[in-house]
Amino acid sequence: MFKLNLKIALRNLWKYKGYTAINVIGLAIGLASCLLIFLFLRFQTSFDTSYEKQDRIYRVVSSWTYPDGDFFSNGVPVPLAPALRNDFSQLEQVAAVRSTRGIVLTKGTYPIASSASSGQGEKNRQETNGGQGNTDVKRKEQLFYVEPQFFDIFNITWLSGKPAQALTAPGMMVMSEKTAVKYFGSWQNAIGKSITFDQNTDFKITGVYKDFPQNSNFPFELVASYASFPGKDSKAWGSVTNRSECYALLKPGVTVTDLDQPLKQFIKKYYVDNGPGKENHIFQPMSEVHHDGRFNNFKFTTISYKELAGLAVIGVFLLITACINFINLATAQAISRSKEVGVRKVMGSRRSQLVWQFLSETTLITIIALLLACVITELAIPGMEHLMNDKAAFRLFSEPAVFVFMLLLVVFVSFMAGFYPALVISGFSPALAIKNKISAASAGGLGLRKTLVVVQFTITGILIITTLVVVKQMTFIREKSLGFDHTSVAVVDIPSDSLNLTKLNGFRERIMQLPGIKESSYFIAAPMSNGNSETNMSYDHRGKDEDFQLNIKMADEHYLKTFNLRLLAGRGLSKSDTVKEYVVNEKLLKMLGVLQPEDVIGKTMKVNGREAPIVGVIKDFNNNSLKEAISPLAIFSNHKNYSAMGLKINPKELNKTMSQVEQLWSETFPNHVYEQEFLDHTIENFYRTEQVMGVLFKVFAGVIIFISFIGLFGLVSFIATQRTREIAIRKVLGASTIELVKMLNRSFLYMVLIANVVAWPLAYIITSKWLNGFEYRTNLSIWPFLLAMVLSVLITLITVSLRSLKAAKTNPIDALKYE
Amino acid sequence: MIILKNIEKYYANKGVKSYILRHVSTEIKQGEFVSIMGPSGAGKSTLLNILGMLEEPTYGEYEFMGEDVLSLNERKRIELYRNHIGFVFQAYHLIDEMTVAENIEAPLLYKKVSGAERKSRVADVLDRFNMVAKKDLFPNQLSGGQQQLVGIARALVAQPSIILADEPTGNLQSAQALQIMDLFKKLNEEEGITIIQVTHSEVNAAYGSRILHLLDGVIKEDIAVEQSV
Repeated sequence: MFKLNLKIALRNLWKYKGYTAINVIGLAIGLASCLLIFLFLRFQTSFDTSYEKQDRIYRVVSSWTYPDGDFFSNGVPVPLAPALRNDFSQLEQVAAVRSTRGIVLTKGTYPIASSASSGQGEKNRQETNGGQGNTDVKRKEQLFYVEPQFFDIFNITWLSGKPAQALTAPGMMVMSEKTAVKYFGSWQNAIGKSITFDQNTDFKITGVYKDFPQNSNFPFELVASYASFPGKDSKAWGSVTNRSECYALLKPGVTVTDLDQPLKQFIKKYYVDNGPGKENHIFQPMSEVHHDGRFNNFKFTTISYKELAGLAVIGVFLLITACINFINLATAQAISRSKEVGVRKVMGSRRSQLVWQFLSETTLITIIALLLACVITELAIPGMEHLMNDKAAFRLFSEPAVFVFMLLLVVFVSFMAGFYPALVISGFSPALAIKNKISAASAGGLGLRKTLVVVQFTITGILIITTLVVVKQMTFIREKSLGFDHTSVAVVDIPSDSLNLTKLNGFRERIMQLPGIKESSYFIAAPMSNGNSETNMSYDHRGKDEDFQLNIKMADEHYLKTFNLRLLAGRGLSKSDTVKEYVVNEKLLKMLGVLQPEDVIGKTMKVNGREAPIVGVIKDFNNNSLKEAISPLAIFSNHKNYSAMGLKINPKELNKTMSQVEQLWSETFPNHVYEQEFLDHTIENFYRTEQVMGVLFKVFAGVIIFISFIGLFGLVSFIATQRTREIAIRKVLGASTIELVKMLNRSFLYMVLIANVVAWPLAYIITSKWLNGFEYRTNLSIWPFLLAMVLSVLITLITVSLRSLKAAKTNPIDALKYE
Repeated sequence: MIILKNIEKYYANKGVKSYILRHVSTEIKQGEFVSIMGPSGAGKSTLLNILGMLEEPTYGEYEFMGEDVLSLNERKRIELYRNHIGFVFQAYHLIDEMTVAENIEAPLLYKKVSGAERKSRVADVLDRFNMVAKKDLFPNQLSGGQQQLVGIARALVAQPSIILADEPTGNLQSAQALQIMDLFKKLNEEEGITIIQVTHSEVNAAYGSRILHLLDGVIKEDIAVEQSV
C-alpha cells in the first residue's frame, strides 16, 4: 500500500510539473535560509558552553555608576584577582588574564615551512639568513599572561606539558598547536625552544595545547605565565583596562546570589578613593560573555540575543511563507485530485488513510526540497563565512544537531503545510467527487487561501520596509559628516618605548618630504576610534571634580590640521612634548555651562592632576560610533603616549606613498613590525554588525519576495485555470482581454493593499526600535512604506497579469466546447 | 445581414488537412430564423462559432452588417460583437458564483451601460421571463429549463440583433424544450431578432424559417420551412 501510494505520489508530482517545481523550489529556498540561520545561531550560541565546570564559571567584570549613566567594562583592576582569592571563600579558583601585543622573535632553528605565513598575510615577514634554509621569524602577536589556575577552570586538551607546572614561573610559555606549527614546524619541535618577546624578554616553551575552538572567546595563541607580567603586583585599584580580565570558579553549591553580600563588603573595603563614578563588580556567567554587548571580550565580538532573536524571527517568517505557498498550491490543486479521492472512498478507503496518503506526499516533497536546500546551503556557506569573517565556522554535516534540526524541519513543514490540504481533500463527498462536481468553493474556502496570501504579503511588506530603513540608515551613517576628515587618512602604528621616542621627530621630517604626504601627526588615537580613554577633571578652580568623564586625546600640534578639525576660538596646540595646554570641544563647554567659546580661552583645567590653560575650542566631531553621542573632549600633547601616526595622503598617490612610508618606517624601526590601517576602514568596522544585518536583511528580503512571487504565480495560475470557464463565458458575453486581466488583478490588489495596511504599523514599530539604537539616525519617513507598497503592488500586477493575460487570451471555445 | 463566401476551416495535422468546413457560402437576412442541422461532426458548431466571431475561418470572407469581420481588429470586433450578438449554450454556461440577476446583468457591464439603466433592463427582462421571484437564486438552485431561460435572458438583455444558439434545448426535457422554442419563435416574429440555432431535432427546426443541412463540412441542402405550426 505504501509503495503504491509513493508511486502515485511521484506520478502526481510528475504530472503537475509546474506546481511541483514551484513547491519544491520555494520550499527549498525557504529551508536553505532556515538551515543557514540555524547554523549561524547554533555557532553563535555555542561560544564557551561546553567546559566541564561550565555552570560554575563566571567572569568578573566592572561597572561604574555616574550621574549621567552607567559605564561598563570587561576589564578589572590588576589587584582584583589576588584580593578575590583572599576574601571569597565561596570561590574555588580565581584566575587573572592580561593581554598585550608585541614583537615575537624566534631564532632560525628549523627548516622553513611553506605554510608558515598562512593567514597572517602581509603583516608578517620572514627573513632567511645566509641561505641555510633556516629562518628568523618576526611577528607582531598578541600575548596573554595567564595564571595557571585558568586551566583548572577551563579544561582544554594538552598535547604536552601540564598547566600546573608549565606556567608557574616567570619566563615560561605555552602555545597552541597551530602557533607551534607556525613557528617551529611541528608541535613536538616547539617544546623546550625559546621565543623573544619585545626584544627584552625570553620565554621557554613548556607546553602545547590543542587549539581553542572557533567558538571560543579566547584567541589564545601564545600564553605566558602570569608571573612574567611586569605589572602583576600593581596596587592601583583605580586603573582599569579591558586588557585585564578575571575569571572565577564558584564552589559547587554556591549560587551567584550568595556572593551579593560579600561583594558589597569587598567593594567597600577596597575602593576607598572616591571617584565620581561608583565602582561595582558583576559576576557574569560564562555563557553571557559572547552575548552581552555592554562588555567586550578578547575577541571583540559580541552578538546580542536580540540580534539572534531577530534572525530567528526572519527564519520563522521564511518558513511560514514557504508553508503558505505550499498550502495554497496544495488546496488549489485539490480539485484535480477529487476524482481519485472519490474512487478511493468508493473502494473503501477511510478518511484517515487518505489523510496519511496526502501527508506522505507532502513529506516526499519536503524531503526533495530539503535535499535541494542542502545543496543551496553548501553553496551559500562560503558567502556566509565571508560575511561573518569567520572561517571554517560552519559545516553542514558536522554534528548531529543539524540532522535533528533537519528532521524537525521536515516533520514541522510536512505537518504545517500538508495537514490542512490533506483534511480538505480527504473530506470530499465521494458521490460528488466521482461526478466531477467538486468546485473551488468546497475545496477549502478561497477565504482561507486569501488570508494566507495576505499574511504572506504582510511578512513580505514588513521585510521590504525594514530592509529599506536599514539601507537608508547605513547610507546616512556613511554620508553623515563626522566633523573631521577621514578620507585617505592612514594610521600607522609606531613603537612607543623610550628608545624610539627620540626617533619620532626625525621620522616625521622624512615622512613629510614624501611628495604624496599632505600632513602627518602623532597621537594616541584618531578622532574616531575604539581607543577612548576617559578621566575625571576639574575646571577653573571650581573646587571639585565635574560629575562627568572627560574624553582625552593625546596628540601633537599637527593633529587639528591632519584631520581638518575646525577651530571656533583661540588657537591649536603649540609644539610641546608634555602637557602644556588644552584644546577642548564644544560639548565640554555645554557640559560646563559656558556659553561663548571665547569665554573659556585662558581658563585653566585640571586633568590627571595636570593643571594647564585652555587655548582653543574646536567644533564637535564624532569621537564615538554614531550609535553614541559626542563626548566632552580635550586634546593635549604628551609624546610618551603617542602610539600611532596619522598620514593625510594625496589620494592619487596613495599606493606609491604607502609603500614609501612602509620602507621608511622599516628603516627607522628595524626591530618592529609595520602595521597600518586606513581610517575609513576603521570607521566602517564600527558598523560591522549593522552591515552584516543589512546584508542579511537584503538577502532574506529578496528570498521572501521571491518565494511570495512564485507562490502568487502558482495561485494565480490555479485560479486562472479554475476560472477558465468563467473567463470564457465572460469573453463570450463581450469582455475584452484587458477587462479580464483587470478583473483577475483586482482581488489580488485588494489583498496586497490589506497586507500593507497590516504591515505598516508592525514595520514602524520594528524599524523605530532598531533606529533608537543609534544616537544619530535618519528620519523615519513615509517613503520606505510607500515604496514597499508600490513594490508589492508592482510585483503582484506583473505576476498576475503575466498569467491572467494568457488565460484571457485563450479562445473561449476551447474552454466551453467540452462541457 | 450576414454574407459568407467560401468559408473553409481545416486543421493541419502532420501535413494532412482535416476539413471541418468546405466552401460554405450563404446569406442570412435580417429577421430570419435559421436552423443548422446535420450529424455529429458535420461542422455545425464550428459554423456557429465562426458566425459568432469566436473562431476564425482558415479561408473565406465573412461580412456582418456590411463590415468585413475578418479584417477588423480585436477591439472593433468586440465592439460589433457586444452590440449585436447574443449567445445561448446547450450547457447554459451561467456563472455559478453569480445570482440570476447578476448573471443577466453581466453583459451590460461590458457594454458600459449605466447603473440605473442596467437595473431597469434587468428588471424588465426578469419580468418578461417571469423570474422576478428567482432573481436572487444561484444557477444550481434552478432547474435546467429555468437555467436556460436565464441564459436566453442574458443573451437578450444586451438587445442583440442576432441570437446564436448552440443546441439550446439539448439538455432539456421536451416540455421545457418546447417552451424555449416558443420563446425563440416569439422573439423572432415579434421583435425581429435574427436567430441561428444548431439543433438535432426536426421538431425544433420546424420552428424556424429556413434549414441549412450540413454534411462533412458542406452545405447539402438549404431549404425554406413551410410554416405549418
